[in-house]
Amino acid sequence: MTIASMRGVVKRYGSYVALDSIDLDIHAGEIIGLLGPNGAGKTTLIGTLTGMRPFDHGTVELFGQSKHPFSHENKEKIGLVTQEITIFEELTAKENLQFFAGVYGLKGEVRKQKVREVLEFVGLSDQANKLPTKFSGGMKRRLNIACALTHSPSFLIMDEPTVGIDPQSRNYILEGVKRLRDRGTTILYTTHYIEEIEAIASRVIIMDQGQIIKEGTPADLIQTIQHEEKVSFEVTDPERIPEGSLEKIAGVRRVLTAGNDITVISDAGSGNLDRMLSIIKEHTGVLGIQTERPNLEDVFFTLTGRQLRDKGEEQ
Amino acid sequence: MTVFKFSLKRSFSNKTNLLLLTLFPIAFIFFPEGEYWPVLPYGYQYFGIVLLFISIRLTTIILVDRAKGVVKRLAVAPISYGSYLCQNLLAFSVILVMQCAIVVYGGVLLGVELYQPHWLMLLYVSFSFTSLAIALAWISIFRSKESAFLIYMSLVTLLAILGGLLMPLQIFPEALIRIAVLFPTYWLNQGMSWIASEGSVGDFILINGVLWLYTIIFMILGSTRKIH
Ligand SMILES: Nc1ncnc2c1ncn2[C@@H]1O[C@H](COP(=O)(O)OP(=O)(O)OP(=O)(O)O)[C@@H](O)[C@H]1O
Ligand SMILES: [Mg+2]
Repeated sequence: MTIASMRGVVKRYGSYVALDSIDLDIHAGEIIGLLGPNGAGKTTLIGTLTGMRPFDHGTVELFGQSKHPFSHENKEKIGLVTQEITIFEELTAKENLQFFAGVYGLKGEVRKQKVREVLEFVGLSDQANKLPTKFSGGMKRRLNIACALTHSPSFLIMDEPTVGIDPQSRNYILEGVKRLRDRGTTILYTTHYIEEIEAIASRVIIMDQGQIIKEGTPADLIQTIQHEEKVSFEVTDPERIPEGSLEKIAGVRRVLTAGNDITVISDAGSGNLDRMLSIIKEHTGVLGIQTERPNLEDVFFTLTGRQLRDKGEEQ
Repeated sequence: MTVFKFSLKRSFSNKTNLLLLTLFPIAFIFFPEGEYWPVLPYGYQYFGIVLLFISIRLTTIILVDRAKGVVKRLAVAPISYGSYLCQNLLAFSVILVMQCAIVVYGGVLLGVELYQPHWLMLLYVSFSFTSLAIALAWISIFRSKESAFLIYMSLVTLLAILGGLLMPLQIFPEALIRIAVLFPTYWLNQGMSWIASEGSVGDFILINGVLWLYTIIFMILGSTRKIH
Protein backbone atom coordinates (compact mmCIF):
# COMPACT_ATOMS: atom_id res chain seq x y z
CA MET A 1 0.00 0.00 0.00
CA THR A 2 1.24 3.45 -0.84
CA ILE A 3 1.22 5.79 2.14
CA ALA A 4 2.43 8.89 0.40
CA SER A 5 3.54 9.93 -3.02
CA MET A 6 4.80 13.05 -4.72
CA ARG A 7 4.68 13.71 -8.45
CA GLY A 8 6.66 16.44 -10.11
CA VAL A 9 6.68 18.59 -7.00
CA VAL A 10 8.44 21.90 -7.47
CA LYS A 11 9.04 24.38 -4.66
CA ARG A 12 10.70 27.75 -5.16
CA TYR A 13 11.84 30.32 -2.66
CA GLY A 14 11.79 33.39 -4.82
CA SER A 15 13.86 32.37 -7.82
CA TYR A 16 15.73 29.66 -5.90
CA VAL A 17 14.48 26.17 -6.75
CA ALA A 18 14.48 24.25 -3.48
CA LEU A 19 12.65 21.20 -4.85
CA ASP A 20 13.16 20.39 -8.49
CA SER A 21 10.45 18.06 -9.73
CA ILE A 22 10.39 15.48 -6.95
CA ASP A 23 8.86 12.05 -7.60
CA LEU A 24 8.57 9.85 -4.57
CA ASP A 25 6.58 6.88 -3.30
CA ILE A 26 6.48 5.69 0.27
CA HIS A 27 5.04 2.27 0.99
CA ALA A 28 3.54 0.92 4.18
CA GLY A 29 6.05 -0.57 6.60
CA GLU A 30 9.16 0.99 5.09
CA ILE A 31 11.86 2.91 6.87
CA ILE A 32 13.07 5.32 4.26
CA GLY A 33 16.34 7.04 4.88
CA LEU A 34 16.40 10.45 3.28
CA LEU A 35 20.01 11.41 2.89
CA GLY A 36 21.48 14.67 1.73
CA PRO A 37 23.92 17.44 2.67
CA ASN A 38 22.92 20.73 4.30
CA GLY A 39 20.57 22.68 2.10
CA ALA A 40 19.70 19.70 -0.11
CA GLY A 41 16.00 20.36 0.44
CA LYS A 42 15.13 17.59 2.91
CA THR A 43 13.18 19.79 5.29
CA THR A 44 11.48 21.50 2.38
CA LEU A 45 10.46 18.13 0.98
CA ILE A 46 8.97 17.17 4.33
CA GLY A 47 7.22 20.52 4.53
CA THR A 48 5.50 20.06 1.18
CA LEU A 49 4.68 16.42 1.92
CA THR A 50 2.88 17.36 5.12
CA GLY A 51 1.09 20.46 3.89
CA MET A 52 3.21 22.73 6.04
CA ARG A 53 4.56 24.58 3.02
CA PRO A 54 2.67 25.34 -0.15
CA PHE A 55 4.41 24.28 -3.35
CA ASP A 56 4.42 25.63 -6.89
CA HIS A 57 3.81 22.57 -9.06
CA GLY A 58 2.99 18.91 -8.90
CA THR A 59 0.78 16.76 -6.70
CA VAL A 60 1.00 15.20 -3.30
CA GLU A 61 -1.05 12.18 -2.37
CA LEU A 62 -1.47 10.96 1.22
CA PHE A 63 -3.24 7.75 2.16
CA GLY A 64 -4.69 7.51 -1.32
CA GLN A 65 -6.10 11.01 -1.35
CA SER A 66 -4.81 13.51 -3.84
CA LYS A 67 -7.69 16.00 -3.79
CA HIS A 68 -7.51 16.82 -0.10
CA PRO A 69 -4.31 15.18 1.04
CA PHE A 70 -3.97 17.48 4.06
CA SER A 71 -7.40 16.85 5.57
CA HIS A 72 -7.58 16.67 9.35
CA GLU A 73 -8.35 13.00 8.99
CA ASN A 74 -5.05 12.42 7.21
CA LYS A 75 -3.13 14.68 9.55
CA GLU A 76 -4.21 12.51 12.47
CA LYS A 77 -2.26 9.65 10.92
CA ILE A 78 0.96 11.60 10.56
CA GLY A 79 3.53 12.36 13.21
CA LEU A 80 6.27 14.89 12.59
CA VAL A 81 9.49 15.20 14.55
CA THR A 82 10.72 18.64 13.63
CA GLN A 83 14.35 19.44 13.00
CA GLU A 84 14.21 22.31 15.47
CA ILE A 85 13.16 21.46 19.00
CA THR A 86 9.58 22.68 19.11
CA ILE A 87 8.42 22.10 22.65
CA PHE A 88 7.06 24.45 25.31
CA GLU A 89 9.78 25.47 27.74
CA GLU A 90 7.32 26.60 30.39
CA LEU A 91 5.44 23.30 30.51
CA THR A 92 6.73 20.07 32.04
CA ALA A 93 7.58 17.08 29.86
CA LYS A 94 4.29 15.50 30.77
CA GLU A 95 2.30 18.65 30.06
CA ASN A 96 3.99 19.00 26.68
CA LEU A 97 2.82 15.52 25.79
CA GLN A 98 -0.66 16.21 27.16
CA PHE A 99 -0.81 19.25 24.94
CA PHE A 100 0.08 17.40 21.76
CA ALA A 101 -2.12 14.45 22.66
CA GLY A 102 -4.97 16.87 23.23
CA VAL A 103 -4.45 18.62 19.92
CA TYR A 104 -4.80 15.22 18.26
CA GLY A 105 -8.08 14.68 20.06
CA LEU A 106 -7.02 12.28 22.79
CA LYS A 107 -8.95 12.61 26.03
CA GLY A 108 -9.21 11.33 29.56
CA GLU A 109 -7.91 7.90 30.44
CA VAL A 110 -6.70 7.17 26.90
CA ARG A 111 -4.61 10.30 26.92
CA LYS A 112 -3.16 9.55 30.34
CA GLN A 113 -2.24 6.06 29.22
CA LYS A 114 -0.67 7.26 25.97
CA VAL A 115 1.38 9.96 27.68
CA ARG A 116 2.72 7.43 30.16
CA GLU A 117 3.53 5.00 27.39
CA VAL A 118 5.37 7.54 25.28
CA LEU A 119 7.37 8.85 28.25
CA GLU A 120 8.43 5.29 28.86
CA PHE A 121 9.24 4.81 25.19
CA VAL A 122 11.69 7.72 25.07
CA GLY A 123 13.05 6.99 28.54
CA LEU A 124 11.82 10.15 30.23
CA SER A 125 9.44 8.62 32.79
CA ASP A 126 11.62 9.84 35.64
CA GLN A 127 11.66 13.36 34.28
CA ALA A 128 7.94 13.59 33.58
CA ASN A 129 7.31 16.49 35.93
CA LYS A 130 10.41 18.50 35.13
CA LEU A 131 10.63 21.51 32.88
CA PRO A 132 12.59 21.07 29.64
CA THR A 133 14.77 24.03 30.68
CA LYS A 134 16.38 21.58 33.11
CA PHE A 135 16.99 19.01 30.37
CA SER A 136 20.17 18.12 28.50
CA GLY A 137 20.17 18.48 24.71
CA GLY A 138 19.59 14.77 24.25
CA MET A 139 16.65 14.77 26.66
CA LYS A 140 15.05 17.69 24.84
CA ARG A 141 15.49 15.82 21.58
CA ARG A 142 13.80 12.80 23.05
CA LEU A 143 10.90 14.91 24.30
CA ASN A 144 10.69 16.49 20.85
CA ILE A 145 10.34 13.01 19.41
CA ALA A 146 7.83 11.96 22.03
CA CYS A 147 5.56 14.88 21.12
CA ALA A 148 5.07 13.30 17.70
CA LEU A 149 4.14 9.90 19.11
CA THR A 150 1.24 10.37 21.54
CA HIS A 151 -1.37 9.92 18.81
CA SER A 152 0.26 6.70 17.52
CA PRO A 153 0.79 7.91 13.94
CA SER A 154 0.91 5.28 11.23
CA PHE A 155 3.29 7.47 9.23
CA LEU A 156 6.13 9.02 11.20
CA ILE A 157 8.40 11.65 9.71
CA MET A 158 11.63 12.40 11.54
CA ASP A 159 13.70 15.37 10.44
CA GLU A 160 17.23 14.91 11.76
CA PRO A 161 16.06 13.64 15.14
CA THR A 162 19.56 12.85 16.37
CA VAL A 163 21.43 16.00 15.46
CA GLY A 164 23.85 17.12 18.15
CA ILE A 165 23.20 14.45 20.75
CA ASP A 166 25.32 11.94 22.61
CA PRO A 167 25.85 8.42 21.21
CA GLN A 168 23.82 6.86 24.00
CA SER A 169 20.73 8.92 23.28
CA ARG A 170 21.26 8.28 19.60
CA ASN A 171 21.29 4.52 20.00
CA TYR A 172 18.23 4.78 22.18
CA ILE A 173 16.44 6.68 19.44
CA LEU A 174 17.52 4.32 16.67
CA GLU A 175 16.35 1.33 18.69
CA GLY A 176 13.07 3.10 19.24
CA VAL A 177 12.64 3.70 15.53
CA LYS A 178 13.13 0.01 14.87
CA ARG A 179 10.56 -0.87 17.51
CA LEU A 180 8.07 1.49 15.89
CA ARG A 181 8.69 -0.16 12.55
CA ASP A 182 8.06 -3.56 14.12
CA ARG A 183 4.70 -2.25 15.26
CA GLY A 184 3.86 -1.36 11.68
CA THR A 185 4.74 2.34 11.55
CA THR A 186 5.98 3.67 8.23
CA ILE A 187 8.93 5.98 8.76
CA LEU A 188 10.64 8.67 6.75
CA TYR A 189 13.96 9.35 8.44
CA THR A 190 16.14 12.29 7.53
CA THR A 191 19.75 12.60 8.46
CA HIS A 192 23.20 13.24 7.20
CA TYR A 193 24.68 10.48 9.28
CA ILE A 194 25.35 7.52 7.02
CA GLU A 195 25.72 5.07 9.89
CA GLU A 196 22.17 5.72 11.02
CA ILE A 197 20.79 5.03 7.57
CA GLU A 198 22.85 1.86 7.25
CA ALA A 199 21.57 0.73 10.63
CA ILE A 200 17.84 1.18 10.10
CA ALA A 201 16.75 2.05 6.56
CA SER A 202 15.10 -0.43 4.24
CA ARG A 203 15.40 2.06 1.39
CA VAL A 204 17.58 5.08 0.86
CA ILE A 205 16.79 8.23 -1.06
CA ILE A 206 19.71 10.49 -1.76
CA MET A 207 18.97 14.16 -2.34
CA ASP A 208 21.17 16.93 -3.55
CA GLN A 209 20.35 20.47 -4.64
CA GLY A 210 16.62 19.91 -4.64
CA GLN A 211 16.70 16.69 -6.63
CA ILE A 212 16.51 13.01 -5.85
CA ILE A 213 19.69 11.73 -7.40
CA LYS A 214 19.52 8.08 -6.41
CA GLU A 215 17.33 5.61 -4.58
CA GLY A 216 17.42 1.96 -3.62
CA THR A 217 18.25 -0.36 -0.75
CA PRO A 218 21.53 0.41 1.00
CA ALA A 219 23.01 -2.80 -0.38
CA ASP A 220 21.90 -1.99 -3.92
CA LEU A 221 23.39 1.47 -3.81
CA ILE A 222 26.69 0.20 -2.54
CA GLN A 223 26.58 -2.50 -5.22
CA THR A 224 26.41 0.17 -7.92
CA ILE A 225 29.81 1.44 -6.87
CA GLN A 226 31.38 -1.95 -6.23
CA HIS A 227 33.13 -1.53 -9.54
CA GLU A 228 35.13 1.18 -7.84
CA GLU A 229 38.05 1.29 -5.50
CA LYS A 230 38.81 3.90 -2.94
CA VAL A 231 42.28 4.73 -1.71
CA SER A 232 43.18 7.44 0.79
CA PHE A 233 46.66 8.88 1.14
CA GLU A 234 47.78 10.88 4.09
CA VAL A 235 50.49 13.23 2.83
CA THR A 236 52.66 15.94 4.34
CA ASP A 237 51.75 18.71 1.90
CA PRO A 238 48.95 18.08 -0.59
CA GLU A 239 49.34 21.57 -2.06
CA ARG A 240 52.57 20.59 -3.74
CA ILE A 241 50.97 18.00 -5.96
CA PRO A 242 50.23 19.71 -9.29
CA GLU A 243 46.56 20.24 -9.95
CA GLY A 244 45.03 17.50 -12.11
CA SER A 245 48.07 15.23 -12.14
CA LEU A 246 46.24 12.43 -10.29
CA GLU A 247 43.08 12.81 -12.34
CA LYS A 248 45.10 12.13 -15.49
CA ILE A 249 46.00 8.61 -14.39
CA ALA A 250 44.11 5.91 -16.27
CA GLY A 251 41.13 4.56 -14.32
CA VAL A 252 40.85 7.47 -11.87
CA ARG A 253 37.31 8.81 -11.49
CA ARG A 254 37.48 11.38 -8.76
CA VAL A 255 40.00 12.97 -6.45
CA LEU A 256 39.15 14.72 -3.21
CA THR A 257 41.51 16.65 -0.98
CA ALA A 258 40.57 17.42 2.60
CA GLY A 259 43.22 18.61 5.01
CA ASN A 260 46.18 16.27 4.61
CA ASP A 261 44.07 13.50 3.12
CA ILE A 262 43.76 12.78 -0.56
CA THR A 263 41.04 10.32 -1.52
CA VAL A 264 41.07 8.77 -4.97
CA ILE A 265 38.26 6.73 -6.49
CA SER A 266 39.17 4.55 -9.44
CA ASP A 267 37.61 1.86 -11.59
CA ALA A 268 37.93 -1.52 -9.95
CA GLY A 269 41.00 -3.46 -11.01
CA SER A 270 42.68 -0.57 -12.75
CA GLY A 271 45.88 -1.38 -10.89
CA ASN A 272 46.94 2.24 -10.73
CA LEU A 273 47.97 2.41 -7.09
CA ASP A 274 51.64 2.27 -8.01
CA ARG A 275 51.27 5.09 -10.48
CA MET A 276 49.40 7.27 -7.96
CA LEU A 277 51.94 6.65 -5.27
CA SER A 278 54.87 7.55 -7.45
CA ILE A 279 53.26 10.83 -8.54
CA ILE A 280 52.50 11.78 -4.95
CA LYS A 281 55.96 10.80 -3.72
CA GLU A 282 57.54 12.85 -6.46
CA HIS A 283 56.13 16.04 -4.84
CA THR A 284 55.55 15.34 -1.16
CA GLY A 285 55.92 12.82 1.65
CA VAL A 286 53.45 10.00 2.20
CA LEU A 287 52.46 9.34 5.83
CA GLY A 288 49.95 6.60 5.28
CA ILE A 289 47.82 4.72 2.79
CA GLN A 290 44.38 3.25 3.37
CA THR A 291 42.00 1.32 1.16
CA GLU A 292 38.38 1.21 2.24
CA ARG A 293 35.26 -0.72 1.52
CA PRO A 294 32.79 1.62 -0.13
CA ASN A 295 29.82 2.80 1.95
CA LEU A 296 26.84 5.08 1.30
CA GLU A 297 29.05 8.10 1.81
CA ASP A 298 31.03 6.97 -1.21
CA VAL A 299 27.85 6.50 -3.20
CA PHE A 300 27.06 10.13 -2.59
CA PHE A 301 30.60 11.16 -3.36
CA THR A 302 30.66 9.21 -6.61
CA LEU A 303 27.38 10.77 -7.68
CA THR A 304 28.19 14.37 -6.82
CA GLY A 305 31.92 14.68 -6.36
CA ARG A 306 31.29 16.16 -2.94
CA GLN A 307 31.38 14.89 0.60
CA LEU A 308 28.05 14.53 2.40
CA ARG A 309 29.39 16.27 5.45
CA ASP A 310 32.28 18.63 5.77
CA LYS A 311 35.32 16.87 7.10
CA GLY A 312 35.71 17.63 10.77
CA GLU A 313 32.03 18.38 11.32
CA GLU A 314 31.19 17.10 14.78
CA GLN A 315 29.39 13.80 15.05
CA MET B 1 -9.95 23.31 23.80
CA THR B 2 -6.47 21.99 24.51
CA VAL B 3 -4.78 25.15 23.28
CA PHE B 4 -7.07 27.28 25.45
CA LYS B 5 -6.36 25.26 28.54
CA PHE B 6 -2.63 25.22 28.08
CA SER B 7 -2.57 28.86 27.13
CA LEU B 8 -4.03 29.65 30.56
CA LYS B 9 -1.52 27.35 32.17
CA ARG B 10 1.37 28.91 30.32
CA SER B 11 0.20 32.43 31.16
CA PHE B 12 0.46 31.67 34.87
CA SER B 13 3.54 29.48 34.59
CA ASN B 14 6.26 31.86 35.75
CA LYS B 15 6.45 33.84 38.96
CA THR B 16 6.62 37.25 37.29
CA ASN B 17 3.45 36.62 35.39
CA LEU B 18 1.72 35.15 38.39
CA LEU B 19 2.48 38.31 40.34
CA LEU B 20 1.60 40.58 37.46
CA LEU B 21 -1.72 38.94 36.88
CA THR B 22 -2.85 38.81 40.51
CA LEU B 23 -1.28 41.23 43.01
CA PHE B 24 -0.40 43.95 40.53
CA PRO B 25 -3.98 44.88 39.56
CA ILE B 26 -5.13 44.63 43.15
CA ALA B 27 -2.55 47.25 44.11
CA PHE B 28 -4.24 49.68 41.72
CA ILE B 29 -7.39 49.65 43.82
CA PHE B 30 -5.51 51.39 46.60
CA PHE B 31 -4.15 54.34 44.62
CA PRO B 32 -5.36 57.69 46.00
CA GLU B 33 -7.85 60.09 44.44
CA GLY B 34 -6.72 63.25 42.70
CA GLU B 35 -7.96 66.64 43.75
CA TYR B 36 -9.00 68.14 40.39
CA TRP B 37 -7.79 65.43 38.05
CA PRO B 38 -8.41 62.62 37.25
CA VAL B 39 -12.12 62.08 37.66
CA LEU B 40 -11.60 58.54 38.93
CA PRO B 41 -8.91 57.59 41.46
CA TYR B 42 -5.41 57.42 40.00
CA GLY B 43 -5.36 53.62 40.00
CA TYR B 44 -8.41 53.54 37.77
CA GLN B 45 -7.13 56.33 35.55
CA TYR B 46 -3.93 54.33 34.96
CA PHE B 47 -5.56 50.93 34.71
CA GLY B 48 -5.77 51.19 30.90
CA ILE B 49 -1.98 51.24 30.83
CA VAL B 50 -1.95 48.06 32.91
CA LEU B 51 -4.26 46.41 30.40
CA LEU B 52 -1.97 47.38 27.51
CA PHE B 53 1.00 46.06 29.42
CA ILE B 54 -0.58 42.78 30.41
CA SER B 55 -1.81 42.25 26.85
CA ILE B 56 1.70 42.24 25.46
CA ARG B 57 2.88 39.90 28.22
CA LEU B 58 0.13 37.48 27.30
CA THR B 59 0.40 37.63 23.51
CA THR B 60 4.14 37.03 23.77
CA ILE B 61 3.14 33.37 24.03
CA ILE B 62 2.09 33.48 20.40
CA LEU B 63 5.27 35.29 19.42
CA VAL B 64 7.38 32.61 21.10
CA ASP B 65 5.37 29.84 19.42
CA ARG B 66 5.97 31.44 16.04
CA ALA B 67 9.65 32.05 16.61
CA LYS B 68 10.26 28.52 17.92
CA GLY B 69 8.40 26.85 15.08
CA VAL B 70 5.63 25.47 17.28
CA VAL B 71 3.07 27.14 15.03
CA LYS B 72 4.60 25.38 12.05
CA ARG B 73 4.54 22.09 13.89
CA LEU B 74 0.87 22.62 14.63
CA ALA B 75 0.27 23.15 10.92
CA VAL B 76 0.87 19.41 10.59
CA ALA B 77 -1.61 18.62 13.37
CA PRO B 78 -5.37 18.44 12.88
CA ILE B 79 -5.95 21.97 14.14
CA SER B 80 -6.34 25.08 12.04
CA TYR B 81 -4.30 28.20 12.60
CA GLY B 82 -7.55 30.09 13.20
CA SER B 83 -8.52 27.73 15.96
CA TYR B 84 -5.07 27.98 17.55
CA LEU B 85 -5.30 31.77 17.47
CA CYS B 86 -8.89 31.96 18.75
CA GLN B 87 -8.23 29.63 21.64
CA ASN B 88 -5.20 31.64 22.70
CA LEU B 89 -7.09 34.92 22.42
CA LEU B 90 -9.97 33.47 24.37
CA ALA B 91 -7.63 32.48 27.18
CA PHE B 92 -6.06 35.96 27.23
CA SER B 93 -9.51 37.55 27.20
CA VAL B 94 -10.62 35.52 30.18
CA ILE B 95 -7.54 36.67 32.07
CA LEU B 96 -8.02 40.31 31.13
CA VAL B 97 -11.71 40.33 31.98
CA MET B 98 -10.85 38.82 35.34
CA GLN B 99 -8.39 41.64 35.95
CA CYS B 100 -11.06 44.20 35.14
CA ALA B 101 -13.51 42.50 37.47
CA ILE B 102 -10.98 42.38 40.30
CA VAL B 103 -10.21 46.05 39.99
CA VAL B 104 -13.77 47.30 39.51
CA TYR B 105 -15.66 45.09 41.94
CA GLY B 106 -12.77 44.93 44.37
CA GLY B 107 -13.02 48.71 44.42
CA VAL B 108 -16.77 48.58 44.97
CA LEU B 109 -16.28 46.16 47.82
CA LEU B 110 -13.78 48.47 49.47
CA GLY B 111 -16.00 51.48 49.01
CA VAL B 112 -14.06 53.31 46.30
CA GLU B 113 -16.25 55.95 44.60
CA LEU B 114 -16.62 54.67 41.02
CA TYR B 115 -19.92 56.39 40.16
CA GLN B 116 -21.24 53.70 37.77
CA PRO B 117 -19.12 50.57 38.32
CA HIS B 118 -21.00 48.35 35.85
CA TRP B 119 -20.48 50.82 33.04
CA LEU B 120 -16.85 51.15 34.07
CA MET B 121 -16.52 47.38 33.90
CA LEU B 122 -17.96 47.46 30.39
CA LEU B 123 -15.57 50.22 29.36
CA TYR B 124 -12.55 48.33 30.73
CA VAL B 125 -13.63 45.16 28.98
CA SER B 126 -13.94 47.03 25.68
CA PHE B 127 -10.52 48.51 26.18
CA SER B 128 -9.10 45.08 27.16
CA PHE B 129 -10.05 43.77 23.76
CA THR B 130 -8.58 46.82 22.07
CA SER B 131 -5.33 46.26 23.99
CA LEU B 132 -5.27 42.61 23.09
CA ALA B 133 -5.79 43.42 19.42
CA ILE B 134 -3.06 46.06 19.47
CA ALA B 135 -0.66 43.63 21.13
CA LEU B 136 -1.51 40.91 18.63
CA ALA B 137 -0.87 43.22 15.70
CA TRP B 138 2.31 44.40 17.36
CA ILE B 139 3.87 40.97 17.92
CA SER B 140 3.13 39.99 14.34
CA ILE B 141 5.88 42.31 13.15
CA PHE B 142 8.56 41.07 15.53
CA ARG B 143 10.66 37.98 15.86
CA SER B 144 12.26 38.59 19.23
CA LYS B 145 10.14 39.01 22.30
CA GLU B 146 12.64 41.33 23.94
CA SER B 147 12.63 43.92 21.20
CA ALA B 148 8.87 43.59 20.70
CA PHE B 149 8.36 44.26 24.39
CA LEU B 150 10.78 47.18 24.71
CA ILE B 151 9.52 49.11 21.72
CA TYR B 152 5.95 48.36 22.69
CA MET B 153 6.46 49.87 26.12
CA SER B 154 7.69 53.12 24.58
CA LEU B 155 4.67 53.09 22.31
CA VAL B 156 2.36 52.52 25.27
CA THR B 157 3.91 55.42 27.14
CA LEU B 158 3.35 57.64 24.14
CA LEU B 159 -0.22 56.42 23.74
CA ALA B 160 -0.85 56.98 27.43
CA ILE B 161 0.45 60.55 27.35
CA LEU B 162 -1.13 61.60 24.07
CA GLY B 163 -4.42 59.93 24.90
CA GLY B 164 -4.59 61.87 28.15
CA LEU B 165 -4.25 58.92 30.52
CA LEU B 166 -1.13 60.12 32.30
CA MET B 167 -1.90 63.81 32.56
CA PRO B 168 -4.85 66.03 31.69
CA LEU B 169 -5.16 66.68 27.96
CA GLN B 170 -5.95 70.35 28.61
CA ILE B 171 -2.30 71.13 29.28
CA PHE B 172 -1.40 70.19 25.69
CA PRO B 173 -1.50 72.58 22.74
CA GLU B 174 -4.69 72.66 20.69
CA ALA B 175 -3.13 70.80 17.74
CA LEU B 176 -2.10 67.85 19.89
CA ILE B 177 -5.52 67.58 21.44
CA ARG B 178 -7.01 67.29 17.99
CA ILE B 179 -4.61 64.46 17.08
CA ALA B 180 -5.39 62.71 20.36
CA VAL B 181 -8.75 61.65 18.91
CA LEU B 182 -6.80 59.12 16.84
CA PHE B 183 -5.60 57.15 19.85
CA PRO B 184 -7.66 54.42 21.49
CA THR B 185 -6.41 55.69 24.85
CA TYR B 186 -8.21 58.98 24.21
CA TRP B 187 -11.49 57.10 23.95
CA LEU B 188 -10.84 55.22 27.13
CA ASN B 189 -10.22 58.56 28.78
CA GLN B 190 -13.44 59.94 27.35
CA GLY B 191 -15.24 56.89 28.65
CA MET B 192 -13.95 57.46 32.15
CA SER B 193 -15.07 61.09 32.07
CA TRP B 194 -18.48 59.88 30.95
CA ILE B 195 -18.65 57.50 33.91
CA ALA B 196 -18.17 60.36 36.33
CA SER B 197 -20.42 62.80 34.52
CA GLU B 198 -23.49 60.75 33.64
CA GLY B 199 -23.80 61.68 29.98
CA SER B 200 -26.28 60.06 27.59
CA VAL B 201 -26.09 56.32 26.96
CA GLY B 202 -25.69 57.11 23.26
CA ASP B 203 -22.38 58.84 23.95
CA PHE B 204 -21.16 55.86 25.92
CA ILE B 205 -22.11 53.49 23.11
CA LEU B 206 -20.24 55.69 20.66
CA ILE B 207 -17.13 55.64 22.85
CA ASN B 208 -17.22 51.85 23.16
CA GLY B 209 -18.01 51.60 19.46
CA VAL B 210 -14.81 53.43 18.59
CA LEU B 211 -12.82 51.07 20.83
CA TRP B 212 -14.41 48.08 19.13
CA LEU B 213 -13.62 49.53 15.74
CA TYR B 214 -9.96 49.69 16.74
CA THR B 215 -10.22 46.15 18.06
CA ILE B 216 -11.50 44.86 14.74
CA ILE B 217 -8.89 46.70 12.70
CA PHE B 218 -5.97 45.51 14.83
CA MET B 219 -7.35 41.97 15.06
CA ILE B 220 -7.41 41.76 11.29
CA LEU B 221 -3.89 43.16 11.05
CA GLY B 222 -2.63 40.78 13.72
CA SER B 223 -4.26 37.59 12.56
CA THR B 224 -3.58 37.74 8.83
CA ARG B 225 0.10 37.39 9.50
CA LYS B 226 0.51 33.67 9.84
CA ILE B 227 3.88 32.03 10.07
CA HIS B 228 7.33 33.50 9.71
N1 LIG C 1 11.94 29.91 4.16
C1 LIG C 1 12.93 29.90 3.25
N2 LIG C 1 13.16 30.95 2.46
C2 LIG C 1 14.14 30.94 1.54
N3 LIG C 1 14.98 29.92 1.34
C3 LIG C 1 14.80 28.82 2.09
C4 LIG C 1 13.78 28.75 3.09
N4 LIG C 1 13.85 27.54 3.68
C5 LIG C 1 14.86 26.90 3.08
N5 LIG C 1 15.45 27.65 2.12
C6 LIG C 1 16.56 27.26 1.25
O1 LIG C 1 16.19 26.09 0.57
C7 LIG C 1 17.26 25.17 0.53
C8 LIG C 1 16.83 23.85 1.12
O2 LIG C 1 16.63 24.03 2.51
P1 LIG C 1 16.20 22.85 3.46
O3 LIG C 1 16.02 23.41 4.82
O4 LIG C 1 15.06 22.13 2.87
O5 LIG C 1 17.49 21.93 3.42
P2 LIG C 1 17.84 20.65 4.28
O6 LIG C 1 18.19 19.57 3.33
O7 LIG C 1 16.77 20.37 5.25
O8 LIG C 1 19.16 21.11 5.02
P3 LIG C 1 19.68 20.79 6.51
O9 LIG C 1 20.38 19.49 6.46
O10 LIG C 1 20.63 21.91 6.78
O11 LIG C 1 18.50 20.81 7.41
C9 LIG C 1 18.42 25.83 1.26
O12 LIG C 1 19.29 26.37 0.30
C10 LIG C 1 17.78 26.91 2.06
O13 LIG C 1 18.65 28.01 2.16
MG1 LIG D 1 16.63 20.31 7.25
